[in-house]
Amino acid sequence: MASSRRTTALLAGLILPTLLAAGSAHAAAGDTDSQRAERWGEIKQQIFGDAKIQSGGKAVKIDAPKRADDASLVPITLTVPDKDNVAELSLIIDDNPTPYAAHFVFGPAADPSELKLRVRVNNYTDVHAVAKMKDGTFQEATEYVKASGGCSAPMGMSDEEAMQGMGDMRMKFGETQPGKPVQATLMIRHPNFSGMQMNQVTRDYTPARYIQKITVSYGDKSVFTMDGDISISANPVINFGYLPDGAGPMKVTATDNQGGHWEKSFPVRSASN
Amino acid sequence: MRPMLRLPIAAAAAVLLVAAAPADSPVGVREPDGYWQGALHGYTPKTLAGATVVDAAQVARLIEEHKPVLLDVSEVDRKPAGLPPGGLWFPVHRNIPGSTWLPGAGDGDLDAAAQDALKARVADLTGGDLERPIVTYCHPDCWGSWNLGKRLVTLGYRKVHWFPQGIDGWQDGHDTAVSRPDPSWAARPKATAGQ
Repeated sequence: MASSRRTTALLAGLILPTLLAAGSAHAAAGDTDSQRAERWGEIKQQIFGDAKIQSGGKAVKIDAPKRADDASLVPITLTVPDKDNVAELSLIIDDNPTPYAAHFVFGPAADPSELKLRVRVNNYTDVHAVAKMKDGTFQEATEYVKASGGCSAPMGMSDEEAMQGMGDMRMKFGETQPGKPVQATLMIRHPNFSGMQMNQVTRDYTPARYIQKITVSYGDKSVFTMDGDISISANPVINFGYLPDGAGPMKVTATDNQGGHWEKSFPVRSASN
Repeated sequence: MRPMLRLPIAAAAAVLLVAAAPADSPVGVREPDGYWQGALHGYTPKTLAGATVVDAAQVARLIEEHKPVLLDVSEVDRKPAGLPPGGLWFPVHRNIPGSTWLPGAGDGDLDAAAQDALKARVADLTGGDLERPIVTYCHPDCWGSWNLGKRLVTLGYRKVHWFPQGIDGWQDGHDTAVSRPDPSWAARPKATAGQ
């Protein structure tokens, strides 16, 4: 397929997916891998433009269950062995209708060696992590995940119940030792409605209401900022590492797409002795 | 890497079938007299009078031996309200390779124009052969494929197969292909305001 045609198809897909009927309705069997590669090429172009992204490197690794128990709560771990040289991490779930799940920008107080979050997966799909290195180069990693129906899975409660306590935050801190990075877990109560979930009683779709931005800072230094999307699971839980230099507190802000804004400061127990 | 995932099919089959099977209805859903008019997502009956209920292995065998007409009635992903402009909305649909995707054809209340268009399209796909095997599917717990199966039985097709596990059951052990809505079905005259 010529690239200009692909671009046209892509643009049409962004605007009027239901009218995109011009292509072949019958794809030949056995071309799954080439179709997946082609889709990743299109997504990459949308997000990263012409940037060259190296694959097969060791800068970033994805761990995900091969088969997820719950497609609306798929745990993803992003490991960054080369943590001192990573500036940003992107998580892309290729076959979700909104593939760009999360984008992390690390600050000076970050220890990006391990990041965990939970996502919705709409269909069996490749998942990509892209690391932007401090020298401006990009590296990618891929994992194939078997899960389906995660974007439209209802919450199993009314919307009102799901929104109770919206914006409440908790933070758990791992073991603190002087001079060592610490792992922390941020939990935010928020339904992160995808807009694709149908209320089983009224048969209406619950409008999308999801966290768009999270910032985490330690003292006056940024740990990370995250741009999120409807692919992030309800009640987001993010495990991350930080460098406990100086005094806290750990401050978190979260903003959703309907103007919700929440802030909370967590006192940090400093490493004793 | 991916081919490896497909290998242990036999060993995993039992598990997969359980995982992909439509949930059993707590009340034992019975076949409605006509077409199902309620929400398309919901518990379905175990049977479809006049049609054969098949699983993924049977669909694979049918494809190999009889080249059935494969009809997918999955809904088109609907863009949620409230997404920021400029965000990447880029849905993709995968189904059984060689399928014809007829979104909306499983509705219980197709108007006369849509019924005519469907009848003509299926006649075209089967070459007018009422003995040609046909498989209807979408996702688990989807009345759309049940309704379409029933419609085809009513139209006189004698080898209608209903595949209730649908795409979710199929992709556990088989390749899928990117699909787009069938152009001639999408271009059907609309008697009423769109979906």
